[in-house]
Amino acid sequence: MKVRFWGVRGSIPVPGRTTSRYGGNTSCVEVRPKGAPPIIIDAGTGLRRLGKALMEDGFGDGRGQASILISHTHWDHVQGLPFFSPLYRAGNQIEIFARRRDTHLEAVFSQQHGEPYFPVPLSAMQANMSFHALTEGARFELGRAKVTSTRLNHPWIALAYRIEVDRAAVVYCSDTAPFTDLLLGREFVEKPPSLDDPLPPDTAAELAKLRAGVVALAHGADLLIYDTQFTYAEYRLRPHWGHSHPDDAIAIARDAQVRQLCLFHHAPLRSDDDNDAILASYRGVVAQAGDRFEVISAYEGLELALGDE
Amino acid sequence: MKIRFWGVRGSIPAPGPETIRYGGNTACVSVQPRAGGLVIIDMGTGLMHLGNALLAGAFGAGTRRATILLSHTHWDHIQGLGFFAPVFVAGNAFTVWGPGGSPEVLEDILEGQMDPNFSPLQTLKNFTATFDVKAAPLGVPFEAEGLTVTAREHPHGATTALAFRIAEAGRTFVYASDVGQPAETGPDPGAIAFYQGADVLLHDATYRPSDQATRRNRGFSSYEDAAAAAVAAGVKRLVTFHYDQDYSDAEVDDLVACCRRALDDRGGAAIDLVPAREGDELEI
Repeated sequence: MKVRFWGVRGSIPVPGRTTSRYGGNTSCVEVRPKGAPPIIIDAGTGLRRLGKALMEDGFGDGRGQASILISHTHWDHVQGLPFFSPLYRAGNQIEIFARRRDTHLEAVFSQQHGEPYFPVPLSAMQANMSFHALTEGARFELGRAKVTSTRLNHPWIALAYRIEVDRAAVVYCSDTAPFTDLLLGREFVEKPPSLDDPLPPDTAAELAKLRAGVVALAHGADLLIYDTQFTYAEYRLRPHWGHSHPDDAIAIARDAQVRQLCLFHHAPLRSDDDNDAILASYRGVVAQAGDRFEVISAYEGLELALGDE
Repeated sequence: MKIRFWGVRGSIPAPGPETIRYGGNTACVSVQPRAGGLVIIDMGTGLMHLGNALLAGAFGAGTRRATILLSHTHWDHIQGLGFFAPVFVAGNAFTVWGPGGSPEVLEDILEGQMDPNFSPLQTLKNFTATFDVKAAPLGVPFEAEGLTVTAREHPHGATTALAFRIAEAGRTFVYASDVGQPAETGPDPGAIAFYQGADVLLHDATYRPSDQATRRNRGFSSYEDAAAAAVAAGVKRLVTFHYDQDYSDAEVDDLVACCRRALDDRGGAAIDLVPAREGDELEI
């Protein structure tokens, strides 16, 4: 399979000189099993460019088929959907998967499309769209690919996905806070508790369960894509934002015995030079520790071949 | 007054090496009256960068206020709001004047953007600054930070967008983004009267005419429309704005050169043409 990064940024798209090497588009990753339709993870602004590429590849004639797995529906993970050209062509089949919630999934996406926010309603899209609500821990198949999921530690809850096909596995773990300090769910956390206070036992147990779920999901993966929006110092200031840092990602990668760890969901104001420095520093950390996995950092246009190409 | 461009792009932010010179952030313009104060027009992604710049001053200390004029509520004009740092500093105060004629409906629309399915902020109520939403009256001047503002509604696809005429001591700046006048009838005389004699007319110039022709229903202007309006209204300077997300810097260069020719051909050789570029400043 091939994995290609179309958007690697967190929170908000950031055009400009200081972000143009890693890229300023929000989260979107394309997983392409050999000879099969694309499985797209997240629909940030990177999806617009992917859509244009797909239009040259069957989708322009209305013969395209794609699945989109949504980690969660925060803006930076869905804001590219109205600009996904294949939706505007009759005949294309687009299946959207996201976590089940109180409101119907299609109603959630309908809110994003149509007036007063966008000129075209979801119901006017020409492609055939279907929506699949997932439970936390859902397992299903997309053609030959096996998809599994687990819950992450993020406000309003996000899902991680593992896609296994062509004798390789890729795991997408974004967005999540570390599983150490704070259990995030439906409540708005205005100010986080002191990180040095001990956790209530039931919270600690729940977090340990979530972490074990992530380690199991990522076990032996060829590629683990992980939310590292923060540095450790930044995380200490904003643990309630629901994002992690490279030290935590490395600990998960180590426990899950992955082959490659990819830093992802870069902070909007993180410059290309800062990202270079973070990567260099953590490559040093894993070399020093004698870890057997490689650390890379996601940039727009990065393409990786895994397993049988 | 001093005008600064924080976001000049239309529809969706367009990051990439090919948009660096004009900028890829969506609509946001700041206007600074001579007497100080701050008026912000539209809340696209450029607003985040304006907000971060403001934190260094009194907005960081929670002792300032500003007025925000909102043309309409499409994503590219509101998506920067949740990332505007000064609304998270208690003591700051913001008044938003927007479209729709009802402050309740407008506040509800802005609240929808913060819905917990979409935003970790969950609700506008989590802003710590004062955030007051008002419906802009049409055609009746109102005061904002010492400036006199008049709003006018223009067609924009299936909906409308507000244009703003801003005056200070006999100088005027008109902001007219997202304007889709009907192809058959051209600009409405009321719109031309609204732009009349402006020192600066910032006008929607999303498209080349050939691209506009296939996307008429989206409700945007071409550089031809912008040039025609500027000449008809006898303005002094024309600012092109809201470039299509797919246009590279080289394509915008070309759009601007074509707009210059369109002005000259229509008898507007005396009109100064200034393309909006992120980070540029203009003094009136």
